[in-house]
Amino acid sequence: MQKTPAKYAARRSLRSNDYGCQFVARDSVVHRMGAGWKLVFGVALSALAAGVRTPVTLLALVLVMLGYYLAARLTLFDLWRDVRLFIFQAIVVIPLYCLVHGAADGLWPGVRISTQIILFYIPGAIFLRTTRSAEVMKGLRRVIPYRLSFLVFVSVRFVPFFFREMSEISAAQRLRGARLLPRQQLDPRNWPDLFNCLILPLMVRALKTADEVASSAEARAFGRSRERTFFDAATLAPSESPASSREGQGWGWRKTRAGVDAVPKRQHTATGKPAIH
Amino acid sequence: MSLDAQRTYLWHRFTLREAVLLCFCATFIVLTRAGLRLHLHLPGHVMFFTMFFLLLARGCVPKLGSATLVGLITSLASVLLGMGVGGPMVLIKFLLPALVVEVAGFISPCFVTSMLACAAVGLLASTTRAAVSTGVEYLIGMEEEIILRKALIAGMLNGVWGALGCLAVPSIIRRLRLNGLIDQEADRGVAG
Repeated sequence: MQKTPAKYAARRSLRSNDYGCQFVARDSVVHRMGAGWKLVFGVALSALAAGVRTPVTLLALVLVMLGYYLAARLTLFDLWRDVRLFIFQAIVVIPLYCLVHGAADGLWPGVRISTQIILFYIPGAIFLRTTRSAEVMKGLRRVIPYRLSFLVFVSVRFVPFFFREMSEISAAQRLRGARLLPRQQLDPRNWPDLFNCLILPLMVRALKTADEVASSAEARAFGRSRERTFFDAATLAPSESPASSREGQGWGWRKTRAGVDAVPKRQHTATGKPAIH
Repeated sequence: MSLDAQRTYLWHRFTLREAVLLCFCATFIVLTRAGLRLHLHLPGHVMFFTMFFLLLARGCVPKLGSATLVGLITSLASVLLGMGVGGPMVLIKFLLPALVVEVAGFISPCFVTSMLACAAVGLLASTTRAAVSTGVEYLIGMEEEIILRKALIAGMLNGVWGALGCLAVPSIIRRLRLNGLIDQEADRGVAG
């Protein structure tokens, strides 16, 4: 396989979506902790970061945070990606302090404040790095109403769909001469192409997809009741019907807050493994 | 089964179609934050598309609460996708600009058809984003003078990008209406 030439690697990095705080699958103590515990611990650490004032306590907190970060089996490069934004912020804050108080008196407060800001956000970064989206979604379902959580999940679910749509529209328009490459978009004179050739068709597609999704959901009576009724394969109830058998097509009943739902009875296949219909 | 596509779905205000459309506007904000990053290292450039899609959402669904819903969905989706560095602060980062758009929509429902109004709303809404980190810095003990100067710099940069991003909104809204894709009656006082 040929190696990618350096100039294409640079172009790839120009459009890279490499951002910090992405989930990293590792086997660590922190990964195995519950999301709720991580949140509580993170809030406590952030509160400590807001309150620390002396050099000794600041150093101690830095070591604790570093230990927490490394305990999650995350690397220093991950740490750099998570905190680089705040490093750039520190480059602004420290000179501002020196400007106001003078270099001698302003340096320590500037460094302290910048470090505190970084330490304040690190627990949140660790939470995102060590918690799967599915766990976060599960927690969200308990907190926000299902109508809102449905919209959030649809939004997340259609990210790859619209990413594909965007790529296809962009490719087709570039064949027609539209200037949509990232380096072409650095020139503001090409921004009309971005809006007319990419964003507008994308919005038309979004309007059409919204119609289809809404019609599809409405056809399934979604949103008709206050509480959502849905088939949950993970919590199948044993059948209450005396006529149902293990080999037959038995149906069990699961009571929800909205009423009673029919759920298929758990069966076993010829291999002995459970089969869910 | 008859389909009642006009039945209200959320907050006694939005139909399911409108809610899903707003949800897609939130998707575009998330997508443009992640997928179109040009690594310009220019502070505030993320507000370019954020404000554009916030105002576009307001233009497509000209009801009170549409921008707020987009801001809420965007912040929750950002957290789910691991893009919310600030944790709960992410909620405020998107809700504050959205609330400014709501206030603008309440004062003048047809502001999305004017480039000047869109630029002004974009500028104002983007500058409020700088206020998000101000609370944390005050809590940490940063001096007020430093907080103000920093907020001013960040606000200016965010504001410029936000205003630029909103300039294209009237043109897009006009085209969508001309083609019958969104309601032509949108400007006639439909504010709630």
